Amino acid sequence: MSILIEISENVQNGKMKAVKELVNTALEQGISANEILNTGLSAGMTLIGERFKTGDVYVPEVLVAARAMNAGVQILKPLLTEEGAAAKGKVCIGTVQGDMHDIGKNLVKMMMEGKGLEVVDLGTDVAPETFVKTAIEQNCQVICCSALLTTTREVMAEVVKEAEKQGVRDTIRIMVGGAPLSDEYCKQIGADCYCADAASAADAAVDLCK
Amino acid sequence: MTNRERAMNILHYKDADRMPAVHFGYWGELLTEWAEQGKIPAHLAEHNYDGNEKDRELDKLIGWDFNWSCTAGAHMGLKPGFEHKEIEVLPDGSRRVQNGDGLIERIKPGATSIPSEDDYLLKDREAFETLYRPKMQFSPDRVNVEYFKTFNETRDVSRPIGLNLGSVLGSIRNMTSVVGMSYLLYDEDEDLFADIVDTFAEMQYKCVETILETGAKFDFAHYWEDICFKNGPLLSPGVFDELCAKHYKKRNDLCHKYGIDVISLDCDGVTEKLLPTWFENGVNTMFPIEIGVWGDQFEPARQKYGKGMLGVGGMDKTALRKDKAAVDKEIERLKRLASMGGFIPCPDHRLMPGTKFELVQYYADEIKKIKI
Repeated sequence: MSILIEISENVQNGKMKAVKELVNTALEQGISANEILNTGLSAGMTLIGERFKTGDVYVPEVLVAARAMNAGVQILKPLLTEEGAAAKGKVCIGTVQGDMHDIGKNLVKMMMEGKGLEVVDLGTDVAPETFVKTAIEQNCQVICCSALLTTTREVMAEVVKEAEKQGVRDTIRIMVGGAPLSDEYCKQIGADCYCADAASAADAAVDLCK
Repeated sequence: MTNRERAMNILHYKDADRMPAVHFGYWGELLTEWAEQGKIPAHLAEHNYDGNEKDRELDKLIGWDFNWSCTAGAHMGLKPGFEHKEIEVLPDGSRRVQNGDGLIERIKPGATSIPSEDDYLLKDREAFETLYRPKMQFSPDRVNVEYFKTFNETRDVSRPIGLNLGSVLGSIRNMTSVVGMSYLLYDEDEDLFADIVDTFAEMQYKCVETILETGAKFDFAHYWEDICFKNGPLLSPGVFDELCAKHYKKRNDLCHKYGIDVISLDCDGVTEKLLPTWFENGVNTMFPIEIGVWGDQFEPARQKYGKGMLGVGGMDKTALRKDKAAVDKEIERLKRLASMGGFIPCPDHRLMPGTKFELVQYYADEIKKIKI
């Protein structure tokens, strides 16, 4: 079995220790960091994402897979910089103002990183101005807003308005997600994209960054 | 008929003169909002908990008959709990605080939702054995036996009161956070998580047994879990079944032995995939059936499991933030559900900020007009 397939499988099984060992072995074998990232770690995370989308695996499996993938990424990071590997796009993500829930937001972030996107995590309780200012200053192509509460989802409309106010509505895409969200609500507030689950959100973000 | 008779008759497919107006409490922020609007006296906005005197006073003001989430029980958590203490204050003004479950939460001034889970103590076998296992043991002082010995004479007989059955997994998730629970489920020590669940469950069983042995009688028994979200369970249904089914069965068999045949379980989110474990092991009443925010449903469960599946909840509470037409539409839908029997409408979770006081009064009045 190719070591890259082995890395992918261990990511999917959430085996952090094994992933670390295998990544080091792959490097010793002369495989490039970029190759290990794309064909091993990210491939494993993508497969877990697909299985999450179809309801074959659940949140714990995604979290342990992400932890294993991140352990591998940490080893590769300095080498990726040396190789000049470019991210597939840049996204800033956060839970909207007034809302402290971050499990969904963190899942989306993990999935996006697994897809090779660079993610700026603004945390929870993020003001509309902060989303837009960060996206402008850090050249993010996408703003991704999360909310768990019906009362806080309304802040997402303010993010859209703030992007309009700053004159970047046509250049920065706005994604929304979370329990009280729907495609209908997304359209109602004038955002660009609603996704029902973390894996779909990562796929959509990659498309929006193209 | 008393509200107790109405509710229990409906859940046993017997005659009742009308539907009771049942609720599941409020967000604290809503009560503050109502007090500021002059809708309720200020004192009712403070320390208002399920079934306490203030909750009952508010019931009268609104027109509710009772709050379903009204139970009596033992101390079924960690004993003693961990010290509540502030760990640090962050530059943005938020505070990292350790709570009684050993969870480190981040609390931010101005943010109205529950705190975010930052870290946790229950990370490995050593933490379980040294910090948690000792706090999960049964001791007689967990149960106020004297209170339960006179419970039948002192309780309010006009409304149903449940026996608190605790929580098989939800309380443990409160100790670890979802992230921590996930990591523990896949710990290198494969028996660790099951050990935690078994230890905690055994203590809770003994608490329930001690209460029932006093002779105290209850109208129903009630669990709290909160182990689902928008897309379904927070963990694999297979893993959930393997870890929890035996504990539900043991506790529910005990309830049946003491004549309790309505066993409800409070779980947020879309519960469909966990219903087999619950229903097959004795939980027969879905609550609060969050249709509004999460899209959970009662009808498919009734179709699948038959008349043995009961429900309390299922009213889209978001209608109470809109207008009379939205409430009327919701009541029409609920009438259809009520006509199946074994179902009592109730807002599908705590009423949230922005809920209109007059619409709640209107809903409570209208729901009572449903004839069984």
